[in-house]
Amino acid sequence: MSCAEELPASEPVYAVRNLTYTYLGRFAALSGVSFDVRRGERVALLGANGSGKSTLLKILAGLIHPTSGHVAAFGKALTETALMEEQFNRDFRSRVGIVFQNPDTQVFSATVREEIAFGCLQLGLPPEEAQQRLDDVLRLLEITDLVERAPFQLSGGQKKKVALASVLVMNPEVILFDEPTAALDPRTQHWLIDLIGALGEAGKTIVVATHDLHTLADLTDRALVFAEDHTLLADAPTPAILADPAALLRANLIHDHRPY
Amino acid sequence: MTRGAAPPRSRADTPAWLVQPQAPLRPGSRVGRRRASFLERTLGDGAEVFRRAMYAEIDGSRGALQRLDPRAKLVALVALLVAVALVHSPLTLVVGYAAIVAVAWAGGVPMRSFVRRVWLVVPAFTAVAVAPATLSVVTPGQIVVPLWTWHGAPQGLTRQGLLAAALIVLRVACSVSLVLLVTLTTPWNRLLGALGALGVPRIFVTIIAMAYRYLFVLLGNITDLLMARKARTVRPPDHGAGDRRFVGAAVGTLLGKSHHLAEEVHQAMVARGYAGRHYALERSRFVAADVLVVLAALAAAVVILGVDRVLR
Repeated sequence: MSCAEELPASEPVYAVRNLTYTYLGRFAALSGVSFDVRRGERVALLGANGSGKSTLLKILAGLIHPTSGHVAAFGKALTETALMEEQFNRDFRSRVGIVFQNPDTQVFSATVREEIAFGCLQLGLPPEEAQQRLDDVLRLLEITDLVERAPFQLSGGQKKKVALASVLVMNPEVILFDEPTAALDPRTQHWLIDLIGALGEAGKTIVVATHDLHTLADLTDRALVFAEDHTLLADAPTPAILADPAALLRANLIHDHRPY
Repeated sequence: MTRGAAPPRSRADTPAWLVQPQAPLRPGSRVGRRRASFLERTLGDGAEVFRRAMYAEIDGSRGALQRLDPRAKLVALVALLVAVALVHSPLTLVVGYAAIVAVAWAGGVPMRSFVRRVWLVVPAFTAVAVAPATLSVVTPGQIVVPLWTWHGAPQGLTRQGLLAAALIVLRVACSVSLVLLVTLTTPWNRLLGALGALGVPRIFVTIIAMAYRYLFVLLGNITDLLMARKARTVRPPDHGAGDRRFVGAAVGTLLGKSHHLAEEVHQAMVARGYAGRHYALERSRFVAADVLVVLAALAAAVVILGVDRVLR
Protein backbone atom coordinates (compact mmCIF):
# COMPACT_ATOMS: atom_id res chain seq x y z
CA MET A 1 0.00 0.00 0.00
CA SER A 2 1.30 3.45 -0.81
CA CYS A 3 1.10 5.84 2.07
CA ALA A 4 -0.50 8.27 -0.34
CA GLU A 5 -3.64 6.20 0.01
CA GLU A 6 -5.95 7.10 2.87
CA LEU A 7 -5.06 5.20 6.02
CA PRO A 8 -7.99 3.49 7.77
CA ALA A 9 -8.83 5.27 11.01
CA SER A 10 -7.95 2.16 13.01
CA GLU A 11 -4.53 1.78 11.35
CA PRO A 12 -1.73 3.26 13.45
CA VAL A 13 0.47 5.91 11.85
CA TYR A 14 3.42 4.11 13.42
CA ALA A 15 3.62 0.51 14.60
CA VAL A 16 6.89 -0.25 16.39
CA ARG A 17 7.63 -3.81 17.43
CA ASN A 18 10.53 -5.07 19.54
CA LEU A 19 12.78 -2.30 18.28
CA THR A 20 16.48 -2.42 19.16
CA TYR A 21 19.17 0.03 18.08
CA THR A 22 22.84 -0.09 18.93
CA TYR A 23 25.56 2.38 18.01
CA LEU A 24 28.76 0.85 16.63
CA GLY A 25 27.31 -2.57 17.38
CA ARG A 26 28.10 -2.11 21.08
CA PHE A 27 26.31 0.80 22.68
CA ALA A 28 22.60 0.20 23.13
CA ALA A 29 20.32 3.17 22.45
CA LEU A 30 16.98 1.32 22.38
CA SER A 31 16.17 -2.14 23.60
CA GLY A 32 13.03 -4.16 22.78
CA VAL A 33 10.70 -1.18 22.39
CA SER A 34 7.11 -1.71 21.14
CA PHE A 35 4.28 0.82 20.78
CA ASP A 36 1.78 2.30 18.31
CA VAL A 37 1.09 5.92 17.48
CA ARG A 38 -2.38 6.67 16.15
CA ARG A 39 -3.47 9.49 13.90
CA GLY A 40 -3.92 12.82 15.69
CA GLU A 41 -2.23 11.69 18.91
CA ARG A 42 0.17 13.94 20.82
CA VAL A 43 2.77 11.62 22.26
CA ALA A 44 5.77 12.36 24.47
CA LEU A 45 8.93 10.27 24.40
CA LEU A 46 9.99 10.92 27.96
CA GLY A 47 13.35 9.93 29.34
CA ALA A 48 16.58 11.07 30.93
CA ASN A 49 19.58 12.13 28.84
CA GLY A 50 20.96 9.21 26.84
CA SER A 51 17.82 7.06 27.15
CA GLY A 52 17.40 6.85 23.36
CA LYS A 53 14.66 9.44 22.66
CA SER A 54 16.50 11.27 19.90
CA THR A 55 17.54 7.99 18.30
CA LEU A 56 13.92 6.86 18.29
CA LEU A 57 12.81 10.12 16.68
CA LYS A 58 15.36 9.66 13.90
CA ILE A 59 14.11 6.10 13.38
CA LEU A 60 10.52 7.37 13.17
CA ALA A 61 11.75 9.96 10.65
CA GLY A 62 13.31 7.20 8.56
CA LEU A 63 16.77 8.72 8.90
CA ILE A 64 18.37 5.76 10.63
CA HIS A 65 17.10 2.19 10.79
CA PRO A 66 16.75 -0.32 13.62
CA THR A 67 19.42 -2.89 14.35
CA SER A 68 16.57 -5.36 14.87
CA GLY A 69 12.81 -5.23 15.22
CA HIS A 70 10.17 -3.74 12.98
CA VAL A 71 8.86 -0.25 12.30
CA ALA A 72 5.86 0.39 10.06
CA ALA A 73 4.75 3.86 9.01
CA PHE A 74 1.35 4.45 7.39
CA GLY A 75 0.91 0.68 7.16
CA LYS A 76 4.15 0.04 5.27
CA ALA A 77 7.48 -1.26 6.61
CA LEU A 78 9.82 1.68 7.17
CA THR A 79 13.10 0.26 5.95
CA GLU A 80 16.08 1.58 4.04
CA THR A 81 14.98 -0.45 1.01
CA ALA A 82 11.43 0.90 1.15
CA LEU A 83 12.72 4.47 1.29
CA MET A 84 14.78 3.86 -1.82
CA GLU A 85 11.50 3.56 -3.75
CA GLU A 86 11.02 7.01 -5.23
CA GLN A 87 7.26 7.08 -4.63
CA PHE A 88 7.33 5.88 -1.02
CA ASN A 89 10.25 8.19 -0.18
CA ARG A 90 8.34 11.16 -1.59
CA ASP A 91 5.08 10.19 0.15
CA PHE A 92 6.80 9.53 3.44
CA ARG A 93 8.96 12.68 3.42
CA SER A 94 5.97 14.86 2.61
CA ARG A 95 4.02 13.36 5.51
CA VAL A 96 6.64 13.28 8.25
CA GLY A 97 8.56 16.35 9.39
CA ILE A 98 11.24 16.45 12.06
CA VAL A 99 12.39 19.50 14.00
CA PHE A 100 15.90 18.86 15.31
CA GLN A 101 17.02 19.91 18.75
CA ASN A 102 19.90 21.98 17.39
CA PRO A 103 18.49 24.50 14.90
CA ASP A 104 21.96 25.02 13.42
CA THR A 105 21.64 21.51 12.08
CA GLN A 106 18.43 22.28 10.29
CA VAL A 107 18.96 25.81 9.06
CA PHE A 108 21.60 25.16 6.44
CA SER A 109 20.67 27.43 3.52
CA ALA A 110 22.14 30.83 2.72
CA THR A 111 18.96 32.74 3.64
CA VAL A 112 15.75 32.18 5.58
CA ARG A 113 13.79 32.36 2.32
CA GLU A 114 15.80 29.55 0.71
CA GLU A 115 15.70 27.53 3.91
CA ILE A 116 11.93 27.55 4.15
CA ALA A 117 11.45 26.98 0.42
CA PHE A 118 13.87 24.02 0.38
CA GLY A 119 11.36 21.32 1.32
CA CYS A 120 8.62 22.60 -1.02
CA LEU A 121 11.00 22.68 -3.95
CA GLN A 122 12.30 19.20 -3.11
CA LEU A 123 8.71 17.96 -3.21
CA GLY A 124 8.36 19.43 -6.69
CA LEU A 125 5.80 22.13 -5.86
CA PRO A 126 5.62 24.84 -8.54
CA PRO A 127 7.61 27.97 -7.51
CA GLU A 128 4.39 30.04 -7.27
CA GLU A 129 2.83 27.61 -4.79
CA ALA A 130 6.11 27.33 -2.88
CA GLN A 131 6.22 31.14 -2.68
CA GLN A 132 2.61 31.29 -1.45
CA ARG A 133 3.29 28.70 1.26
CA LEU A 134 6.47 30.52 2.20
CA ASP A 135 4.57 33.80 2.67
CA ASP A 136 1.85 32.05 4.69
CA VAL A 137 4.21 30.27 7.03
CA LEU A 138 6.31 33.42 7.54
CA ARG A 139 3.12 35.22 8.60
CA LEU A 140 2.01 32.33 10.80
CA LEU A 141 5.30 32.23 12.68
CA GLU A 142 5.68 36.03 12.68
CA ILE A 143 9.07 35.97 11.01
CA THR A 144 8.32 37.86 7.79
CA ASP A 145 10.98 40.44 8.66
CA LEU A 146 13.66 37.74 8.80
CA VAL A 147 13.13 36.44 5.27
CA GLU A 148 16.29 37.91 3.71
CA ARG A 149 18.51 37.24 6.69
CA ALA A 150 21.35 34.75 6.74
CA PRO A 151 21.17 32.10 9.49
CA PHE A 152 24.16 33.55 11.35
CA GLN A 153 22.21 36.77 11.77
CA LEU A 154 19.46 35.01 13.77
CA SER A 155 19.11 34.49 17.51
CA GLY A 156 18.57 30.99 18.92
CA GLY A 157 14.80 31.51 19.20
CA GLN A 158 14.58 32.90 15.67
CA LYS A 159 16.55 29.93 14.31
CA LYS A 160 14.15 27.59 16.05
CA LYS A 161 11.20 29.38 14.43
CA VAL A 162 12.86 29.15 11.01
CA ALA A 163 13.55 25.44 11.55
CA LEU A 164 9.90 24.92 12.47
CA ALA A 165 8.75 26.98 9.48
CA SER A 166 10.93 24.90 7.17
CA VAL A 167 9.03 21.79 8.33
CA LEU A 168 5.52 23.30 8.58
CA VAL A 169 5.71 24.65 5.04
CA MET A 170 5.65 21.04 3.78
CA ASN A 171 2.34 20.48 5.62
CA PRO A 172 3.34 17.15 7.18
CA GLU A 173 0.77 14.88 8.84
CA VAL A 174 3.23 13.87 11.52
CA ILE A 175 5.63 16.29 13.20
CA LEU A 176 8.48 14.96 15.32
CA PHE A 177 10.03 17.42 17.77
CA ASP A 178 13.34 16.84 19.51
CA GLU A 179 13.43 18.82 22.77
CA PRO A 180 11.34 21.65 21.30
CA THR A 181 11.45 23.93 24.32
CA ALA A 182 15.15 23.46 25.11
CA ALA A 183 17.18 26.69 25.32
CA LEU A 184 14.18 28.90 24.58
CA ASP A 185 13.21 31.87 26.70
CA PRO A 186 9.89 31.54 28.59
CA ARG A 187 7.96 33.71 26.14
CA THR A 188 9.10 31.70 23.10
CA GLN A 189 8.47 28.48 25.02
CA HIS A 190 4.85 29.46 25.62
CA TRP A 191 4.45 30.57 22.02
CA LEU A 192 5.76 27.18 20.85
CA ILE A 193 3.52 25.26 23.25
CA ASP A 194 0.51 27.15 21.91
CA LEU A 195 1.56 26.45 18.34
CA ILE A 196 2.05 22.72 18.97
CA GLY A 197 -1.35 22.68 20.68
CA ALA A 198 -2.93 24.34 17.64
CA LEU A 199 -1.23 21.85 15.31
CA GLY A 200 -2.59 19.00 17.43
CA GLU A 201 -6.09 20.47 17.27
CA ALA A 202 -5.70 20.73 13.50
CA GLY A 203 -5.31 16.94 13.45
CA LYS A 204 -1.55 16.65 13.15
CA THR A 205 0.12 13.74 14.86
CA ILE A 206 2.74 15.12 17.23
CA VAL A 207 5.64 13.18 18.75
CA VAL A 208 7.82 15.10 21.17
CA ALA A 209 11.09 13.85 22.67
CA THR A 210 11.59 15.64 25.96
CA HIS A 211 12.66 15.45 29.57
CA ASP A 212 10.94 18.69 30.48
CA LEU A 213 8.20 17.70 32.91
CA HIS A 214 6.94 21.27 33.25
CA THR A 215 5.73 21.56 29.65
CA LEU A 216 4.74 17.91 29.21
CA ALA A 217 1.04 18.24 30.07
CA ASP A 218 0.67 21.24 27.74
CA LEU A 219 2.40 19.51 24.84
CA THR A 220 1.09 15.94 24.92
CA ASP A 221 -1.79 13.65 25.89
CA ARG A 222 0.17 10.43 26.17
CA ALA A 223 3.69 9.65 27.36
CA LEU A 224 6.08 6.78 26.67
CA VAL A 225 8.63 6.69 29.46
CA PHE A 226 12.08 5.32 28.67
CA ALA A 227 14.36 3.87 31.31
CA GLU A 228 18.08 4.42 31.37
CA ASP A 229 18.54 0.83 30.24
CA HIS A 230 16.82 1.95 26.99
CA THR A 231 13.66 -0.10 27.52
CA LEU A 232 10.11 1.24 27.51
CA LEU A 233 9.16 1.67 31.15
CA ALA A 234 5.63 2.98 30.88
CA ASP A 235 3.03 3.96 28.30
CA ALA A 236 0.08 5.90 29.72
CA PRO A 237 -1.83 9.18 29.45
CA THR A 238 0.41 12.13 30.35
CA PRO A 239 -1.57 13.13 33.51
CA ALA A 240 -1.25 9.54 34.79
CA ILE A 241 2.51 9.53 34.18
CA LEU A 242 2.95 12.89 35.89
CA ALA A 243 0.96 11.57 38.85
CA ASP A 244 3.21 8.51 39.14
CA PRO A 245 6.40 9.60 40.91
CA ALA A 246 7.58 5.97 41.11
CA ALA A 247 7.74 5.69 37.30
CA LEU A 248 9.46 9.09 37.00
CA LEU A 249 11.93 8.09 39.69
CA ARG A 250 12.71 4.79 37.95
CA ALA A 251 13.34 6.72 34.73
CA ASN A 252 15.69 9.02 36.69
CA LEU A 253 13.60 12.04 35.73
CA ILE A 254 13.09 13.18 39.32
CA HIS A 255 14.90 12.72 42.63
CA ASP A 256 13.15 11.25 45.61
CA HIS A 257 14.08 14.25 47.77
CA ARG A 258 12.79 16.73 45.21
CA PRO A 259 9.73 15.26 43.48
CA TYR A 260 8.11 16.94 40.51
CA MET B 1 21.78 0.12 33.84
CA THR B 2 23.85 2.99 35.13
CA ARG B 3 21.95 5.11 37.49
CA GLY B 4 23.33 8.56 38.38
CA ALA B 5 24.70 8.90 41.89
CA ALA B 6 22.26 10.49 44.29
CA PRO B 7 23.07 14.18 44.78
CA PRO B 8 24.27 15.41 48.16
CA ARG B 9 21.26 15.85 50.40
CA SER B 10 22.83 17.96 53.07
CA ARG B 11 25.91 19.98 53.69
CA ALA B 12 27.35 17.03 55.61
CA ASP B 13 27.53 14.96 52.37
CA THR B 14 29.48 17.67 50.54
CA PRO B 15 33.28 17.33 50.46
CA ALA B 16 34.94 19.75 52.87
CA TRP B 17 36.97 21.48 50.15
CA LEU B 18 33.81 22.32 48.27
CA VAL B 19 32.38 24.36 51.13
CA GLN B 20 35.65 26.07 52.03
CA PRO B 21 35.55 29.81 51.28
CA GLN B 22 38.12 31.28 48.88
CA ALA B 23 40.94 33.43 50.22
CA PRO B 24 40.19 37.18 50.05
CA LEU B 25 41.17 39.04 46.90
CA ARG B 26 44.73 40.37 46.88
CA PRO B 27 45.89 43.65 45.32
CA GLY B 28 46.76 43.10 41.63
CA SER B 29 50.22 44.63 41.87
CA ARG B 30 51.50 41.74 44.01
CA VAL B 31 51.08 39.13 41.31
CA GLY B 32 52.04 41.19 38.25
CA ARG B 33 50.15 41.80 35.02
CA ARG B 34 49.22 38.95 32.70
CA ARG B 35 49.29 38.92 28.93
CA ALA B 36 47.07 36.87 26.64
CA SER B 37 48.95 34.06 24.94
CA PHE B 38 49.94 34.37 21.29
CA LEU B 39 47.61 31.49 20.42
CA GLU B 40 44.69 33.06 22.25
CA ARG B 41 45.19 36.38 20.49
CA THR B 42 45.73 34.81 17.06
CA LEU B 43 42.70 32.52 17.17
CA GLY B 44 40.47 35.06 18.89
CA ASP B 45 41.41 37.95 16.58
CA GLY B 46 41.22 35.69 13.51
CA ALA B 47 37.71 34.61 14.43
CA GLU B 48 36.72 38.23 15.05
CA VAL B 49 38.08 39.39 11.67
CA PHE B 50 36.09 36.65 9.89
CA ARG B 51 32.98 37.49 11.85
CA ARG B 52 33.21 41.22 11.10
CA ALA B 53 33.85 40.59 7.41
CA MET B 54 30.93 38.22 7.12
CA TYR B 55 28.45 40.12 9.23
CA ALA B 56 28.81 43.19 7.02
CA GLU B 57 25.28 44.03 5.93
CA ILE B 58 24.63 44.88 2.32
CA ASP B 59 21.87 47.32 1.63
CA GLY B 60 20.35 45.88 -1.52
CA SER B 61 18.40 48.98 -2.46
CA ARG B 62 20.92 51.72 -1.88
CA GLY B 63 22.48 52.35 -5.29
CA ALA B 64 22.40 51.49 -8.94
CA LEU B 65 25.21 48.95 -8.55
CA GLN B 66 23.28 47.12 -5.85
CA ARG B 67 20.22 46.82 -8.06
CA LEU B 68 22.01 45.28 -11.04
CA ASP B 69 21.53 41.60 -11.81
CA PRO B 70 24.35 39.65 -10.12
CA ARG B 71 24.87 37.64 -13.32
CA ALA B 72 25.67 40.82 -15.23
CA LYS B 73 28.06 41.84 -12.49
CA LEU B 74 29.80 38.47 -12.55
CA VAL B 75 30.23 38.49 -16.35
CA ALA B 76 31.54 42.07 -16.18
CA LEU B 77 33.87 41.11 -13.35
CA VAL B 78 35.40 38.23 -15.28
CA ALA B 79 35.91 40.39 -18.41
CA LEU B 80 37.60 43.15 -16.41
CA LEU B 81 39.74 40.74 -14.37
CA VAL B 82 41.07 39.21 -17.60
CA ALA B 83 41.82 42.67 -18.99
CA VAL B 84 43.63 43.69 -15.79
CA ALA B 85 45.69 40.50 -15.86
CA LEU B 86 46.81 41.23 -19.43
CA VAL B 87 47.82 44.88 -18.86
CA HIS B 88 51.57 45.60 -18.96
CA SER B 89 51.70 49.32 -18.17
CA PRO B 90 51.48 50.53 -14.55
CA LEU B 91 50.04 53.79 -15.84
CA THR B 92 47.08 51.98 -17.40
CA LEU B 93 46.48 50.26 -14.09
CA VAL B 94 46.65 53.54 -12.15
CA VAL B 95 44.00 54.99 -14.47
CA GLY B 96 41.98 51.76 -14.19
CA TYR B 97 42.15 51.84 -10.39
CA ALA B 98 40.97 55.46 -10.38
CA ALA B 99 38.06 54.45 -12.62
CA ILE B 100 37.10 51.58 -10.28
CA VAL B 101 37.17 53.92 -7.27
CA ALA B 102 35.03 56.42 -9.18
CA VAL B 103 32.48 53.73 -10.05
CA ALA B 104 32.42 52.58 -6.41
CA TRP B 105 31.87 56.15 -5.24
CA ALA B 106 29.10 56.69 -7.78
CA GLY B 107 27.52 53.41 -6.69
CA GLY B 108 27.30 54.51 -3.07
CA VAL B 109 29.93 52.09 -1.74
CA PRO B 110 31.42 53.32 1.56
CA MET B 111 34.71 54.72 0.24
CA ARG B 112 36.76 54.52 3.41
CA SER B 113 36.09 50.84 3.93
CA PHE B 114 36.49 50.11 0.21
CA VAL B 115 39.94 51.72 -0.09
CA ARG B 116 41.14 50.52 3.29
CA ARG B 117 40.26 46.87 2.62
CA VAL B 118 42.32 46.93 -0.57
CA TRP B 119 45.35 48.74 0.79
CA LEU B 120 45.47 46.71 4.00
CA VAL B 121 45.52 43.44 2.07
CA VAL B 122 47.74 44.39 -0.87
CA PRO B 123 50.85 45.53 1.07
CA ALA B 124 50.55 42.64 3.49
CA PHE B 125 50.28 39.84 0.97
CA THR B 126 51.63 41.17 -2.33
CA ALA B 127 54.16 43.89 -1.62
CA VAL B 128 56.06 41.58 0.75
CA ALA B 129 56.11 38.83 -1.85
CA VAL B 130 57.33 41.05 -4.71
CA ALA B 131 59.82 43.09 -2.63
CA PRO B 132 62.80 40.83 -3.52
CA ALA B 133 62.07 41.36 -7.23
CA THR B 134 62.96 45.06 -6.85
CA LEU B 135 66.58 44.20 -5.96
CA SER B 136 69.33 44.09 -8.56
CA VAL B 137 70.30 40.56 -7.50
CA VAL B 138 66.89 39.35 -8.68
CA THR B 139 66.07 41.83 -11.46
CA PRO B 140 69.24 43.26 -12.99
CA GLY B 141 68.99 46.72 -14.54
CA GLN B 142 69.45 50.42 -13.91
CA ILE B 143 70.04 50.98 -10.20
CA VAL B 144 68.00 53.87 -8.90
CA VAL B 145 68.53 53.33 -5.16
CA PRO B 146 71.99 51.95 -4.35
CA LEU B 147 72.03 49.92 -1.12
CA TRP B 148 75.36 48.04 -1.03
CA THR B 149 78.29 47.04 -3.24
CA TRP B 150 79.22 43.56 -4.36
CA HIS B 151 82.78 43.09 -5.75
CA GLY B 152 82.90 46.81 -6.38
CA ALA B 153 79.60 46.91 -8.27
CA PRO B 154 76.74 48.88 -6.71
CA GLN B 155 73.66 46.85 -5.82
CA GLY B 156 70.16 48.00 -4.81
CA LEU B 157 66.71 48.71 -6.19
CA THR B 158 66.50 48.71 -9.97
CA ARG B 159 64.17 50.65 -12.21
CA GLN B 160 63.08 47.46 -13.94
CA GLY B 161 62.52 45.70 -10.61
CA LEU B 162 60.47 48.59 -9.22
CA LEU B 163 58.36 48.75 -12.38
CA ALA B 164 57.73 44.98 -12.27
CA ALA B 165 56.78 45.17 -8.58
CA ALA B 166 54.52 48.18 -9.19
CA LEU B 167 52.85 46.33 -12.04
CA ILE B 168 52.08 43.30 -9.85
CA VAL B 169 50.94 45.38 -6.87
CA LEU B 170 48.67 47.51 -9.08
CA ARG B 171 47.26 44.44 -10.84
CA VAL B 172 46.41 42.89 -7.47
CA ALA B 173 44.96 46.17 -6.19
CA CYS B 174 42.75 46.54 -9.28
CA SER B 175 41.66 42.87 -9.14
CA VAL B 176 40.89 42.97 -5.41
CA SER B 177 39.01 46.26 -5.90
CA LEU B 178 36.89 44.78 -8.69
CA VAL B 179 36.05 41.71 -6.60
CA LEU B 180 35.25 43.91 -3.59
CA LEU B 181 33.06 46.14 -5.73
CA VAL B 182 30.95 43.12 -6.66
CA THR B 183 30.87 41.51 -3.21
CA LEU B 184 30.09 44.79 -1.42
CA THR B 185 27.16 45.50 -3.71
CA THR B 186 25.70 41.99 -3.96
CA PRO B 187 24.23 39.94 -1.11
CA TRP B 188 26.04 36.62 -0.72
CA ASN B 189 23.01 34.51 -1.52
CA ARG B 190 22.31 36.41 -4.77
CA LEU B 191 25.93 36.00 -5.77
CA LEU B 192 25.64 32.26 -5.24
CA GLY B 193 22.39 32.23 -7.21
CA ALA B 194 24.14 34.02 -10.05
CA LEU B 195 26.93 31.44 -10.09
CA GLY B 196 24.29 28.75 -10.47
CA ALA B 197 22.52 30.68 -13.23
CA LEU B 198 25.80 31.08 -15.11
CA GLY B 199 26.25 27.33 -15.28
CA VAL B 200 28.35 26.59 -12.20
CA PRO B 201 27.07 23.16 -11.05
CA ARG B 202 24.36 23.54 -8.40
CA ILE B 203 26.04 21.07 -6.06
CA PHE B 204 29.23 23.15 -6.19
CA VAL B 205 27.30 26.31 -5.32
CA THR B 206 25.53 24.48 -2.49
CA ILE B 207 28.82 23.29 -1.06
CA ILE B 208 30.19 26.86 -1.08
CA ALA B 209 27.01 28.15 0.58
CA MET B 210 27.09 25.48 3.26
CA ALA B 211 30.81 25.93 3.90
CA TYR B 212 30.17 29.67 4.38
CA ARG B 213 27.16 28.94 6.60
CA TYR B 214 28.92 26.48 8.88
CA LEU B 215 32.09 28.53 9.10
CA PHE B 216 30.10 30.63 11.57
CA VAL B 217 29.12 27.66 13.65
CA LEU B 218 32.72 26.49 13.82
CA LEU B 219 33.93 30.03 14.55
CA GLY B 220 31.49 30.07 17.45
CA ASN B 221 32.93 26.76 18.62
CA ILE B 222 36.50 28.09 18.45
CA THR B 223 35.50 31.18 20.41
CA ASP B 224 33.70 29.02 23.01
CA LEU B 225 36.72 26.75 23.40
CA LEU B 226 39.01 29.74 23.87
CA MET B 227 36.69 31.32 26.42
CA ALA B 228 36.21 28.07 28.31
CA ARG B 229 39.98 27.71 28.53
CA LYS B 230 40.44 31.33 29.54
CA ALA B 231 37.75 31.03 32.23
CA ARG B 232 39.68 28.19 33.88
CA THR B 233 43.22 29.49 33.31
CA VAL B 234 44.36 30.50 36.77
CA ARG B 235 48.12 30.38 36.40
CA PRO B 236 50.00 32.64 33.97
CA PRO B 237 49.40 31.48 30.37
CA ASP B 238 51.73 28.77 29.12
CA HIS B 239 53.07 30.00 25.76
CA GLY B 240 54.68 26.72 24.76
CA ALA B 241 53.67 23.13 25.33
CA GLY B 242 50.33 24.10 26.88
CA ASP B 243 49.34 26.05 23.77
CA ARG B 244 50.36 23.16 21.51
CA ARG B 245 48.37 20.70 23.60
CA PHE B 246 45.35 22.99 23.45
CA VAL B 247 45.60 23.36 19.66
CA GLY B 248 45.79 19.57 19.31
CA ALA B 249 42.79 19.04 21.56
CA ALA B 250 40.82 21.86 19.88
CA VAL B 251 41.49 20.47 16.40
CA GLY B 252 40.30 17.04 17.54
CA THR B 253 37.21 18.49 19.19
CA LEU B 254 36.31 20.59 16.16
CA LEU B 255 36.83 17.66 13.83
CA GLY B 256 34.50 15.50 15.93
CA LYS B 257 31.91 18.28 16.15
CA SER B 258 32.04 19.06 12.44
CA HIS B 259 31.64 15.36 11.60
CA HIS B 260 28.58 15.09 13.84
CA LEU B 261 27.20 18.33 12.44
CA ALA B 262 27.70 17.18 8.84
CA GLU B 263 25.84 13.96 9.58
CA GLU B 264 22.90 15.76 11.19
CA VAL B 265 22.73 18.40 8.45
CA HIS B 266 22.52 15.65 5.86
CA GLN B 267 19.76 13.96 7.88
CA ALA B 268 17.89 17.27 8.10
CA MET B 269 18.12 17.61 4.31
CA VAL B 270 17.01 14.02 3.67
CA ALA B 271 14.09 14.48 6.08
CA ARG B 272 12.81 17.26 3.83
CA GLY B 273 12.98 15.19 0.70
CA TYR B 274 16.55 15.88 -0.47
CA ALA B 275 17.67 13.26 -2.96
CA GLY B 276 20.77 14.84 -4.46
CA ARG B 277 19.13 17.62 -6.48
CA HIS B 278 18.80 21.31 -5.76
CA TYR B 279 16.14 23.70 -6.98
CA ALA B 280 15.93 27.49 -6.90
CA LEU B 281 12.84 29.36 -5.78
CA GLU B 282 13.17 32.32 -8.08
CA ARG B 283 15.01 33.19 -11.24
CA SER B 284 16.15 36.78 -11.68
CA ARG B 285 15.43 38.58 -14.95
CA PHE B 286 17.95 40.28 -17.18
CA VAL B 287 16.82 43.84 -17.93
CA ALA B 288 18.24 46.43 -20.32
CA ALA B 289 20.46 47.93 -17.63
CA ASP B 290 22.09 44.55 -17.03
CA VAL B 291 22.80 44.05 -20.72
CA LEU B 292 24.27 47.57 -20.81
CA VAL B 293 26.56 46.76 -17.88
CA VAL B 294 27.88 43.63 -19.59
CA LEU B 295 28.46 45.53 -22.86
CA ALA B 296 30.09 48.44 -21.02
CA ALA B 297 32.40 46.05 -19.16
CA LEU B 298 33.39 44.30 -22.37
CA ALA B 299 34.00 47.67 -24.04
CA ALA B 300 36.04 48.82 -21.03
CA ALA B 301 38.14 45.66 -21.21
CA VAL B 302 38.87 46.30 -24.91
CA VAL B 303 39.69 49.97 -24.22
CA ILE B 304 41.99 49.06 -21.33
CA LEU B 305 43.93 46.63 -23.50
CA GLY B 306 44.04 49.12 -26.42
CA VAL B 307 45.34 51.96 -24.23
CA ASP B 308 47.84 49.60 -22.67
CA ARG B 309 49.20 48.65 -26.08
CA VAL B 310 49.74 52.36 -26.88
CA LEU B 311 51.39 53.12 -23.53
CA ARG B 312 53.64 50.06 -23.53
